[in-house]
Amino acid sequence: MALDLSMPILVVDDYQTMVRIIRNLLKQLGFEEVDDASDGTAALARLKSRKYGLVISDWNMEPMTGYELLRHVRADEGLRTTPFIMVTAESKTENVIAAKKAGVNNYIVKPFNAATLKTKIEAVCGA
Amino acid sequence: MKFARKPRIPAAEPASPRVINELVEIADYISHLRQEIAALRANELTRDRIPMAHEELGNVLAATAGATNQIMASAESMLSLPHDASYRENVEAHIYEIFEACAFQDITGQRISKVVEALRQLELRLARFASAVKARDEAGYDPTEAERRKRADVLLLNGPQIDGPATSQDDIDALFA
Repeated sequence: MALDLSMPILVVDDYQTMVRIIRNLLKQLGFEEVDDASDGTAALARLKSRKYGLVISDWNMEPMTGYELLRHVRADEGLRTTPFIMVTAESKTENVIAAKKAGVNNYIVKPFNAATLKTKIEAVCGA
Repeated sequence: MKFARKPRIPAAEPASPRVINELVEIADYISHLRQEIAALRANELTRDRIPMAHEELGNVLAATAGATNQIMASAESMLSLPHDASYRENVEAHIYEIFEACAFQDITGQRISKVVEALRQLELRLARFASAVKARDEAGYDPTEAERRKRADVLLLNGPQIDGPATSQDDIDALFA
């Protein structure tokens, strides 16, 4: 199955430079519909106002972390099937296992490159 | 003429040599403590060095953000350049912008060195003071710190590891295979 390049993607990160990097990488991959939010609370509001094909989120944000956002998304009847990739500097195995248990689809540890992001998006969104 | 009789004040007993020695020791200790407090130069730390460190770190943050924005803007401009006859010339112009932006590292390095020196001074003076007064840390309860630790524990906020990722991307991928 080919990637749907028209699907909207939500990038959640409190560091605007990282949002810009991911946005450019996604553009390079052919995705044009990219929105962003600076923490879990803002992301939830966006997720409730638009149907997204993928969420790419950082972990360490205030006031709502990416981990909390993931749990909210998985607990919400209307959002629970939304693919979710965590992109984070939190690299302890306990973090990865906790995210997996909470229902994350894939996990990228920072720093990462375009090829890794592409591989994970393809794995999650079914290329 | 009659005068009122003054009440008799009992004559003070002479202090024992042991008490005198103890008082002399206490006076010496207070004098020593005052010297150590003066050596801390706490006013200089709070008036000059710590505000300077705040200011320098703020400048470092602003410089790195500014440089990153300039580098990213140049890279984005290159990505959207038309493939025409002036392509190479335009790419080179943007590359020189990136070189210019990278100059921030020299200045921020110098600023960070000043902050490191201020921290070193603070560490030296506190260590000397703690040793001089034989200070011991109080095992007190700090509700703000307790709340921060609880949140970090519950939400697994470990932050980046000092020596690079604790778990490699390959090992993470194995968990998702």
